[in-house]
Amino acid sequence: MDLESLLPRVTKPARYTNGEWNAVHKDAAHVRARVCLVYPDTYELGMSHLGLQILYHVLNSHPDFLAERAFAPWPDMERQLRDHGVPLMSLESRTPLRDFDAIGITLPYELTYTNILNVLDLAAIPARAADRGPDDPLVIGGGPGAVNPEPVADFFDAILIGEAEEAILDIAEAAALRDRDAALARLSEIPGMYVPSNYQAAFDGSGPKGSVTPRNGAPAQIARRFVAHLDDAPFPTGQIVPFLDTVHSRVTLEIMRGCTRGCRFCQAGAAYLPRRERTVETVLRQAEEAVAATGYDEVSLLAFTSVDYRGIEELVGKLVERLGGRGVGVSLPSLRADAFSIALANKIQQVRKSGLTFAPEAATDRLRRVIRKHTSEDELFAAAEAAFSSGWTRLKLYFMIGLPTETEEDVEAISDLVRRVVGFGRGALGSRAGRLRIAVSIASFIPKPHTPFQWVGQESREGLLRKQEILQRALRGRAIKLSWTDPGVSELEAAISRGDRRVGAAIEQARALGAAFDAWSEHFDFDRWARAFGEAGLDLHDYAHRTLDYNDPLPWDHISCGIGKDALQAEAERAFSEGDA
Amino acid sequence: MAQIICRYHKRDEVRWISHLDLKRTLERAMRRAQLPLALSQGHNPHPKISLSPPLPLGATGDAELFSVQLAEGMDPGELKQRINDSLPSGLEVMEAWVLPAHRKKETFGDIDIAQYSVTVKGEVDAARVSEHIADLMGQEELIVQRGGKRPPRSLDIRPFILSLALAQASEDGVELRMRLRTGSHGGARPQEVIELLALNGADRTITYHRTGLFAGAQLGAERASAGRSTGAPRAGRLHRWTRSRSSRERSESP
Ligand code: SF4
Repeated sequence: MDLESLLPRVTKPARYTNGEWNAVHKDAAHVRARVCLVYPDTYELGMSHLGLQILYHVLNSHPDFLAERAFAPWPDMERQLRDHGVPLMSLESRTPLRDFDAIGITLPYELTYTNILNVLDLAAIPARAADRGPDDPLVIGGGPGAVNPEPVADFFDAILIGEAEEAILDIAEAAALRDRDAALARLSEIPGMYVPSNYQAAFDGSGPKGSVTPRNGAPAQIARRFVAHLDDAPFPTGQIVPFLDTVHSRVTLEIMRGCTRGCRFCQAGAAYLPRRERTVETVLRQAEEAVAATGYDEVSLLAFTSVDYRGIEELVGKLVERLGGRGVGVSLPSLRADAFSIALANKIQQVRKSGLTFAPEAATDRLRRVIRKHTSEDELFAAAEAAFSSGWTRLKLYFMIGLPTETEEDVEAISDLVRRVVGFGRGALGSRAGRLRIAVSIASFIPKPHTPFQWVGQESREGLLRKQEILQRALRGRAIKLSWTDPGVSELEAAISRGDRRVGAAIEQARALGAAFDAWSEHFDFDRWARAFGEAGLDLHDYAHRTLDYNDPLPWDHISCGIGKDALQAEAERAFSEGDA
Repeated sequence: MAQIICRYHKRDEVRWISHLDLKRTLERAMRRAQLPLALSQGHNPHPKISLSPPLPLGATGDAELFSVQLAEGMDPGELKQRINDSLPSGLEVMEAWVLPAHRKKETFGDIDIAQYSVTVKGEVDAARVSEHIADLMGQEELIVQRGGKRPPRSLDIRPFILSLALAQASEDGVELRMRLRTGSHGGARPQEVIELLALNGADRTITYHRTGLFAGAQLGAERASAGRSTGAPRAGRLHRWTRSRSSRERSESP
C-alpha cells in the first residue's frame, strides 16, 4: 500500500503531501548529500519554525546538497502507516527517511521528545545511536533544546549546540562522506558540535546531579555556536508558503537575535547571546523580496523584544509606508508595556488591528526585582491607559506563579493588578466598556539550565494548584479571561529540561507506554510519565523539585552558553538579596 | 474596477487541500502575480475573491471557477499568464474572461448541479454495477447518514441524484458518470453514491473528478412545483457554467 491510498483516511491529508510554493525539488542523483529536516511535531507547527526554513534554504541553495522535510505524523496517520507497513517518508520526493544520508531533527522543546523516538521508529532507524550500523543515516539534533542535550544524548549521533545556519554545510559535508565512522570523526571537529559517544556520563543519586566527562580526546566543554553578524547570515525570503493554515501564516523577518535584558528565569535570554541586529536597510529589502516571493499579506518582525531594536521606529514607519497601500500588514509580536511601545503599535494600527500583549510576569515590585523584570507598575498602567485611549479593547497579560521567593501576597497582587487594569479599561472605553477583554495567562515557573535559577527546585504541583485556585477565585468577571498551563506539564518540562542522560530511558519508556504529542493537552498524561520515570529507575519529582547546591556538578556543565557558572551563581545570590531588601 | 472570471483545474497533490486553504492559495498567487487587486475597505483589507462550490477533499476538477475584482482593467490573456506563473503545480487557469462593468459581483450562487466522473480501480463486476444502478435509480428514497463529528442524521438523497450511469468498464475497473445536485438547497456527494453502490472496498482505489458545474436545477424545480412538470427536477435546460454562460451568449442543453 502506498501513501497515496492512505491520504483519504486521515485528517488534514495536506500535512503529508507537498508542492507548496517555494518548496524545492532536486534530483538526488546529482547531489553529494541528502538531508531530511525533521520537526518533531505537526506540519503546522514545524512550518512556523523559522529555523527549519533557514536550514532548508541554505542546504538547497548549495548545488551539492539537497534538503527535504518530514514532520511527526498525527496519531491517525501513524496508525495507518503502522497498519500498512508504510515507512515514514519525506514530503518532497516521498523517500523513506532511512534512505537519506543524514536526518536533522529540531529540538524545539522538551515535550516533543517522545515524538522524536516515534519518528525514528516509523522510519525504521534504531532509536539509540549505539545500535546504528553502516546503513543507517546519521541522526543529528539541534535547536533550542540543545542547551541541555543530555536527556536525548543517547538518541543522536551528534547534536549542534547553538545556531546552525553556518554549521549546516559542514554537517552536510560530513554526511557526504557516506561512511559512518569517518562522518562522526568529521562531525566532532565542527565547532559547537557535541558527539555524545565521546563523553561519559556519571551520576550521583537521583535527580540532576552528575557530570559528563570527555574521552577520545574530545574537548571538556562545548561552546555554543552563533553567527557573528546577522546581516551576513543567510535568510530565506522565498519562504515555503504552506497550503494549510499554520501558526504563522505570514512572512517572518528576524530583525534581531538575542536579548540583553537578563530576566533571571529566561533561558532564551541566556542562550542566544550576544544581541545582534539586522540593519534597517537589510530588513526593508528582505521584506520587499519576501512579500513578492510569497504573496503573504502580513509581515511579522521577529525578536525577543522588538522594541529594543535600535531602528524600530524608522523600520516600522517605512514598512507601513511601503506595504500598507498594498494591503500588507505589519505585526510586532513582542511589545513591552511602555508608552513607546504603544506609540509604535498605533503606527501599525493604521494598517491592521492586532492584539497587545504585556508580560509583567510578576505583580509586585519586589518579585519583579527578584526575577529582574524591570517594568514598574506605573509604566504598566500608563501603557494600558494609552492602549485603551488609542482604541484597543483587548489586552493580554502574562504572569508566572511559583517564582523563587514568591509568597501568597505576590499571587494575590496579580489579581489586584488585573482588576486595576480592567478599571482603567472601563474608564477609558466609556460606552464601549462592554467590549473590554483582558486575557490573563498564568504559567508556572520552570527552572532552566544556564539561567541563574537553574539550581532552584520547582514548586510542588500542589502548591501551584493552590495558587491557581486563589487566582481563579479572585479573577472573575465578563472582561477577564483566565488561562493557565497544567502544572503537570510544567513539572515534566522542568524534569526533562534539567534531565541527565538517564532521563533518555524514561523518555523511551514513556513512548513505549504510548506517550506522543505531549505538548497537546488531549494527549498529555502525567501519570504515564511518572510511571515511565519509575520504570526507568528514576524519580520525576527529584529532577523537577530538588534544589541543588551551587557546588553540585550539573549534567549540562560541559555545555557553555557564554555565561560562566560563577556569574550565574552571583546573579542568583543577587536575586535573593534583592528579594530580601 | 473590473471583474474577471477564471476557469481552472485542480489536480495532483493539491486535491488534498481544503476549500478554505485553496482560497488563501489563490489570493497569495494573485499577490505574487502583482495583479491590481481591488481591496475591501476597513481595518483588515482583503482581496475580493469568490469560488465555485467546494470540491470534496481529494477530488480533482477541471471546471472549477473563481472570480476576482481588480482595481483596473486587464487583458484576460495576460492575467491568465501571470496567474499561472504564480500558481503552485496542480492548479492552472484554463480560461479567463472579463465581465462587463455593470455586472454585479459574481459569487456563483446559481450553481446547483455538479457532474462527476468516478473511477473505481480494482476487481469490479460491471454487469452487477449496471443492475445496481438501475435498482438505485428506481428507488423512491435513498437514505444516507450525515454528521461527521456531530450526531448523525438521516437524509434522503434520491432527489439529488439527477443521473447516474456506467460510462466504461474494463479489466481494471469501471468509470461512472453522475450528475448531482449541490449548493445551499441540498445535494448529494459522489462518495455517498459510491457507498450506496457498495463500491468502496479497501481493495479498490477510487478517484473523483468533477467535470462540470451547471446552473438550472432550481429553475427546473420551480417549474415542477408550478405544475408544468412532474417528478424530480428534470435537467431540461441547464446552463453549463462556462465563459459563454456568463456572457449570456449561449446556453447548453446537456
Ligand atoms: S524574558 Fe524576554 S526580555 Fe526577559 S530576558 Fe527573556 S527574552 Fe529578554
